[in-house]
Amino acid sequence: MSRITSADDLRRIREDLAAEVLSRRVGGDSPWFQILVCGETGCVSSGCLAVQTALKEEIARHAGLADRVRVVQTGCIGSCELGPVAVVYPEGILYTELTPADIPTIVERHVLGGEIVTEKVYADPTTGERIPVIDDIPFFKRQVKFARKWAGIIDPENLDEYIATGGYEALLDAVLDQSPEHVLQQIKDSGLRGRGGGGFPTGVKWELTARAASKDGRKFVVCNADEGDPGAFMDRSQLEGLPHSVLEGMAICGYAVGASHGYIYCRAEYPLAIDRLELAIAQAREAGLLGPDIAGSGFGFDIEVRMGAGAFVCGEETALIASIEGKRGEPMPKPPFPANEGVWGCPTVVNNVETYGNVPRILSEGATAYARLGTDTSKGTKIFALAGAVKNVGLVEVPMGITLGDIIYDIGGGILDDKEFKAAQIGGPSGGCLPRHLLNVKVDYESLKEVGAMMGSGGLIVMNEDTCMVDLAKYFMEFIQEESCGKCPPCRIGTRRMLQILERITSGRGRDGDIEELIALGEDIRRTSVCGLGQTAPNPVLSTIANFREEYEEHIHLKKCRAGVCGDLVYAPCQNACPAGVNVPAFVNLAAEGRYREALEAHLDRNPFPMACGMVCTHSCEDKCRRASMDAPVAVREIKRFMTQMGGHNGAYPMPPVMKRPGDEVKSIGIIGGGPAGLTAAYFLRRLGHSVMVYEMQDELGGMMRYGIPEYRYPKDVLDQEIRNILDMGVGHRLNCRIGRDVTLAELRKKHDGIVVAIGGWRGVSLGIANEDADGVQAGIDFLWLVAHGDLKRLRGKVIVIGGGNTAIDCARTALRLGASDVMVAYRRTIDQMPAEEEEIAELLDEGITIKELTDIDEILVDDRGCVRGIRARMQELGNFDSSGRRRPQPRAGADGEVVFECEHLLTAISQNVDLEFAPELALNRNGTLKIDRYTFQTSDPRIWGSGDVLSLANLPVAIGHGEEVAVSIERTLNPDVIKSFPWRVVKSPDVAYDPDAEPVTYGRVQTEYSSVQDRITNFLLVNRGVNWDEAIRKEARRCLRCDYREACNEESVRS
Amino acid sequence: MAPGNPLKIATQGCNCEEMTEDQKYARLDEILDLYRSEPGSLINCLYVAQTIFGYLSDAVLKHVAEYLDVPAARVAGVASFYSYFTRQPRGKHVIKVCLGTACYVRGGKQIMETLVRDLGIKAGETTPDGEFTLAVVRCVGACALAPVVLADEDTHRRVRAARISDIIAAYRKPSTPVREAV
Repeated sequence: MSRITSADDLRRIREDLAAEVLSRRVGGDSPWFQILVCGETGCVSSGCLAVQTALKEEIARHAGLADRVRVVQTGCIGSCELGPVAVVYPEGILYTELTPADIPTIVERHVLGGEIVTEKVYADPTTGERIPVIDDIPFFKRQVKFARKWAGIIDPENLDEYIATGGYEALLDAVLDQSPEHVLQQIKDSGLRGRGGGGFPTGVKWELTARAASKDGRKFVVCNADEGDPGAFMDRSQLEGLPHSVLEGMAICGYAVGASHGYIYCRAEYPLAIDRLELAIAQAREAGLLGPDIAGSGFGFDIEVRMGAGAFVCGEETALIASIEGKRGEPMPKPPFPANEGVWGCPTVVNNVETYGNVPRILSEGATAYARLGTDTSKGTKIFALAGAVKNVGLVEVPMGITLGDIIYDIGGGILDDKEFKAAQIGGPSGGCLPRHLLNVKVDYESLKEVGAMMGSGGLIVMNEDTCMVDLAKYFMEFIQEESCGKCPPCRIGTRRMLQILERITSGRGRDGDIEELIALGEDIRRTSVCGLGQTAPNPVLSTIANFREEYEEHIHLKKCRAGVCGDLVYAPCQNACPAGVNVPAFVNLAAEGRYREALEAHLDRNPFPMACGMVCTHSCEDKCRRASMDAPVAVREIKRFMTQMGGHNGAYPMPPVMKRPGDEVKSIGIIGGGPAGLTAAYFLRRLGHSVMVYEMQDELGGMMRYGIPEYRYPKDVLDQEIRNILDMGVGHRLNCRIGRDVTLAELRKKHDGIVVAIGGWRGVSLGIANEDADGVQAGIDFLWLVAHGDLKRLRGKVIVIGGGNTAIDCARTALRLGASDVMVAYRRTIDQMPAEEEEIAELLDEGITIKELTDIDEILVDDRGCVRGIRARMQELGNFDSSGRRRPQPRAGADGEVVFECEHLLTAISQNVDLEFAPELALNRNGTLKIDRYTFQTSDPRIWGSGDVLSLANLPVAIGHGEEVAVSIERTLNPDVIKSFPWRVVKSPDVAYDPDAEPVTYGRVQTEYSSVQDRITNFLLVNRGVNWDEAIRKEARRCLRCDYREACNEESVRS
Repeated sequence: MAPGNPLKIATQGCNCEEMTEDQKYARLDEILDLYRSEPGSLINCLYVAQTIFGYLSDAVLKHVAEYLDVPAARVAGVASFYSYFTRQPRGKHVIKVCLGTACYVRGGKQIMETLVRDLGIKAGETTPDGEFTLAVVRCVGACALAPVVLADEDTHRRVRAARISDIIAAYRKPSTPVREAV
C-alpha cells in the first residue's frame, strides 16, 4: 500500500475498486460472479473457513473459472444462526448452513449452470417457503442499515475495499479542509447519542473534552469495546466486519477534540476482533491514515488496542480508564468526569464502538440527512443483537422509534416453535424485562426509560413461556454478584442480600414480605452505589417485579414455578403444567406396566374426571412434554382415556375413601353450581369428611360439561358415570334450584358453614350492535344448551358463527351436524390467533366449514319480517399489539373493505360471562367479575369462596384445579391447623421398574383413530376414537422420559 | 509505540510447554523488557506471564513485581481482580460454558449442571487427573448460536445437555477410560 497524501490518492483507489465493490448488490453490474462468504466469529464456529477453502479449491478445479468468480470473505450479514452463509452476486442469492460438501453443487449448478440451488437457500422459519434473494427476506427487508451499511459486503481485512465505499474520505475532508470546531458542530447537529447505553449526546461530550484544559497538553480518545453485557454482540461484529470505520471515527474525534492518541479497550473474549483491529491499524498506519502526519495535514493520531482481562465493571468508563492504566478496574466517583480527567489524568472522550462507527458516515452523508432518521430526541439507527426464543436471531439495525413488537415479529419472525411471547430483556444486566402489553413501546432512549428498561448497548433477548422470570432475576443477580468490584458496600453486600432472597424464593422457601424487601433493597442500592454498575444492578429484579409480580407471588405462596424451571418446585414438567396438578408420570408409567386400575387411582387422587380429561382436556402436559424435543410428546390423553376404560370397571372408579373425623371438624358446605369446578370442590370436600350439598339450576348435573361440550367430543353417558362416582361418595345435590329464585344466598349462608360459588359463564356477551334480537340471531352458548338439552334437533340454511374460541368452533360443528347447508366462522383476527384449540380448528376445517379470518361484523342485516338475512362485515388488517401480545385487528381502509355474507342463522360466540345478580352483597372487580383472592379463593365474604368461571372463563382442567384449591382453602379456614399436609398434595413417585441408564425407546408417537368426515358430520358420534389396543398404549407409555425420576427413588416432594 | 498483542508475542516461536522453568523465566524477562517503558502495561505483562507459565503462581507474580519494580501487592491486586488470570494450574482442556443471557434462556444452565455431574467438579475446578478445567464465561458474543460451549479453542454451537458427554469424550485422551475422572 502506498501512502495516501491527498484526497486525490483516496479517490484513485476508490475509482479502481468501486465498480467491483459497489456492484455487490442485487442486480449489480459486474463482469464476475462475486461470492461473499461471512467470516465472523459466529460463522467461523459454524465452519465457514472450511467452506471458503472448499469454494476456492472448487473454483480452481474448473479451468477458466477463476477469472469469472471472485470469492470475498466479509463481515457479518446479520443472520448468524444460519451460518455459514454465502451470498452470490449479481443475483443476491443467500445460501445458508453451508458445508464443504455443498460447494461442488453450488459451483456446478449456480455458477456454471446459472440455476439457483433452491434446497440451500433461505427458508422462512414460519412457512418453510424458500426465499432465494436476500433483499426479499423479511429479516433484512425492514432493517435500515447505516452504521452497518457495508457490513457483510466488504472484506474487513482489505483497506482498499473500505476506501472504495467512501471510507476515510470523511477523515481526510476533516483534517485537510475543515476546522475542528466545524467537525464538532456537525456531530452536534446530527443529534448522535452514545450507543453504549447512557445516550449522552456525543457532540456535547466531545465539546467538553475539546474545551477542557490538559495539565500536560495531552488528550485521549478511548473506544469502549468491552462489550460485557451478556447477550450483546453488536460491537464484536462491527469490529470484525468494519474495523476501519471505528478507527476512522476515532481519528475524526481526535481531530475534533485535539487528541493525538487513542485506545481501543477490547475484551479478551473477542480474539478475532482484536486480530482484525490490529491488522486494520497496521494497514492504516502504512497508508498514512493513522500516524504522525495524516495525509500531510500536520494532524497526527495513533491508536493502540488494550485487552480487557475479564471484568464486567470495566465497561464503566472510570473503571475502564483505570484498567487502561494497568490498575484494578475499580470505578471512581464522578465528577471529575473523563472529559476533564481521564486517562493519565488528561481530558478523555470515551465512546463505544457503535458510536464511532456512525461518525464517518454522518460526516460524509451530512448531519441533516442523519438527523432525518429516528425520532425527535433519538436520532439515527440502533443495532441490536436479537437472540433468545425468536425465529430469526442475529444482528439487526433499525431506525430509532421502531416498536419492540415490530423488531420481534417483523424482523425476528415471531416466537420460536410458535410458543407464547413472554418478555423481552433489553439493556442487559442494567436493563429491564418488558412484558406483552409493552410490545408497542417505541425503541428510543426516553420511551424505554419510561417503562423501566433502558436502551443499553443493544442486547435484546426474547423469552417465551419457558423462561421463569424469578429465575432470570436470580441469574442477573448472580452475574452482578460475580462482577461487582466490591469497592462500595451497597453493590457488594446489597446485591448479595438480594441474591439470597431470590435463591430462597426459587427453592420454595420464600415468605411474606420478600418482594417488598427486594424492592426496598433495590431502591437503596440504586441510590447509593458509586458507579453505573451498582446503580443499575437492581433493575432486572425491580422490572421483573413490576411486570411479573404474579410469578414471584406464585413461587412464594403456591410454591409453584409456572415455567417449570425452578428445580426445587418442579416434580416433572407435565405435572407442573397441569392446572389440576395431576401426577402424569405416575399414571403413564403404571399404564406402561398394564396396571390400569392403579394408574386410574393415581389420576383420581387429583382429578375426579379422568374420562372428560381423556377426551377433551387441553393437555398442557403434552405441550411441556420433554419427549417433544426428541420426536413428539407422549400421548398422555390417549393413555388416560384407555386406562380409565380398563381400570374403571364398567364405570365404577376406585374412588378414594372418605376421611372419618371428629364431629366438630365436619362442616356443612353448600356449592352453587354443579359443573366441573363445583363437583370437583364437592369431591375433595367430601374426601375430607365434610357434608356437601350441590345446588344446580338445571335439571341435571354437569354444567358446561353437559351443556357446553357437544356429545361428539364427550358423550353424556360417560359424564353420567363420572358424576355418579362422585355422588356415591355421599355428595348431596338439589336440581332445578336457582339461587335468588328458589332459595336466597343469605339463606344458604345461614344453613352452611361455607359456600362455594361455582357457576358457569352462561351469559353470551353481546356484540353491541343493532338487531341482535332479530329472529335467527342467538348467543352461541344458548344454542349449545338447546341442542344438548334436546330442544333443538334440526337446522336449515346457512349459518354464520361469530368468534374464535372453543364455543364458536363447537357451535359451527354442531350446526353442521344439525343439517345446516353451509357453515362459516367469521373471526376478526387471524386463524393462528384463535383461542380455540388447534386440533378443534383442524377438525372443523376437515369437516368443510370455512373460517373467514380478519372479518369483523359491522351490522346484522334483517329482512322486512325481522328475520336475519346476513351480515355486513368489515375486513380487517393487523396493526399494533394489544395487551394480550397479539396484533390488534383494525378496519381495512377502502371500498373493498366491506363484504356482505348471507345467512339464515347467526350465532354469536365472542365471549361469555357469569350472571352474578343473585349475589349483590359480594364485591366485584371493575370489569364486573367477582372479587376473589387469587390464593385463598375467598370472596369479599370470608365464608364464601369462588371457583371456575367466576374467576375468569376457565377451561376444564383449570376449573378442576380451582375445585381442589377451594376445598383446601375451606378446610384451612374452617379447621385451622388441623390438617398439616393434604395427602393428595404429596406427590408420590410410582413404584415401577425403571433403569435410569437405559437409552430411551426410539419409536414415535402412537396414532389416534378418528371417525372419517363422512361418518361423522351427520351425527353426534365420537370424532376422536382414541387408541383402543392394550399393547399400543403400553408401548406409548414407555416413551415417557421419566423427568420425575430422582437419584434417590421414592423421594417425595411435598407441596402443601 | 506499544509492542502489540501480548498473547501473540508470548507465544511467538515459543513452545512454552516444553521449556524448563529457567527457560520460561528467561523468556518472560525478554518480553517484559519490551513492555517496561510502556506506561500501564502491567496487565499485558501478566498476560505474557500466564501464557508462558500456564497460571500465575506466587513465585511468578513476585518475579514480575521485582522485575518491573512495582509493589508486589499491586501486582497481586491486579492479578486477583480480573477473571482471566488464574492462580491455580488449569487442566489440559478448559471447558467453558457460556452463561450469557441468550445461552442461559436456551439451556446453558442444564448444560452446566450436566457437566458438573459428569466431570464431578464445580465451575472453576479441575479434575483430579488434570484433564479438564470447568469454567463459566459470561457471553462470548455468539448469542445467535446459543447455547454455546467453548472447549479449548473450539466453539460448539447449539449444544444440548444430552449431547455434552460426546463432546467431552472427544477431548479425552484415547487411553483414558471414559468414566475415570468422574
